[in-house]
Amino acid sequence: MNIFTQRSWSPYVAGALAGLLLVLSVLATGKYFGASTTFVRSAGLIEQVFVPDRVQSMDYFVKTKVKIDWQWMFVFGVLFGSLIAARMGRDFKATPVPPMWEAAFGPNSAKRWTTAFLGGIILMFGARLAGG
Amino acid sequence: MSLLAYGLITGIVFGFFLQKGQVLRYDKQVGALRLLDFTIVKFMLSSVIVSMVGIYLLLDMGLIELDIKSASLGANILGGLIFGIGWALVGYCPATGVGALGEGRYDAAFGLVGMLVGAAVYAEVYPVLKGTVLTWGNLGKITLHGILGLNHWVVIIVLIVLFVGLFRWFEKKNL
Repeated sequence: MNIFTQRSWSPYVAGALAGLLLVLSVLATGKYFGASTTFVRSAGLIEQVFVPDRVQSMDYFVKTKVKIDWQWMFVFGVLFGSLIAARMGRDFKATPVPPMWEAAFGPNSAKRWTTAFLGGIILMFGARLAGG
Repeated sequence: MSLLAYGLITGIVFGFFLQKGQVLRYDKQVGALRLLDFTIVKFMLSSVIVSMVGIYLLLDMGLIELDIKSASLGANILGGLIFGIGWALVGYCPATGVGALGEGRYDAAFGLVGMLVGAAVYAEVYPVLKGTVLTWGNLGKITLHGILGLNHWVVIIVLIVLFVGLFRWFEKKNL
């Protein structure tokens, strides 16, 4: 059986391979994995379109440096890696509401999407505060 | 090859592993928070085992440098608690939210837009935090083996034994 078209792998194997990828990345480029700084840079890039002077004067955007960098491309790549894996394993499915959510709160997608949006604000504020 | 190209390729491969490991699912992430399904913990700790051995081997050989973040108790504890509330509501962390969108879970898109807003809000209040929460209990760039005064390999071996014990328990209990 072709491992690429296999629907899923053991989480132990997939996780160990991800660990190996991190080691190779650090060896090749010195880059450790991360994602949340990319959200700050993207927020800055978007705000820059409307209020460029303001973004340039804000401490946090100055400190973080609003630009497309290694991590930005890494996060962008995750989208495609997941898409490719899901397509190859015939595991891609447009899903508006997760099954566990639906079992608990019903199929109303507006309720789920609003919660995800508000949760996203809280999550990222906490992540940035914690330094992650 | 440019650094940006390395970032893109590394991200694609990482996203591939995340998808095959089935960790890009709300049900798996909230399932772990509800102590029902530890798939994401299996993935994370397997990754930690391989990377801590690999990173410290390369460090001992003088081939790489560590990138240690400062421990700041006020920021880490408060930020961690806030992150946890948000994570349980979204059901995806930032990288897995992006990956979830890739496999068709488009509720993640709303979470990702929220995360952009959260980052913008943080940038607004950063000047206030800089002089307060972020200065509370700052311990600097500490490591576990540094605090314990042990060789790093002792800590690594103890952690591997603990993680493998946890894996065996997960499998025994079908979690």
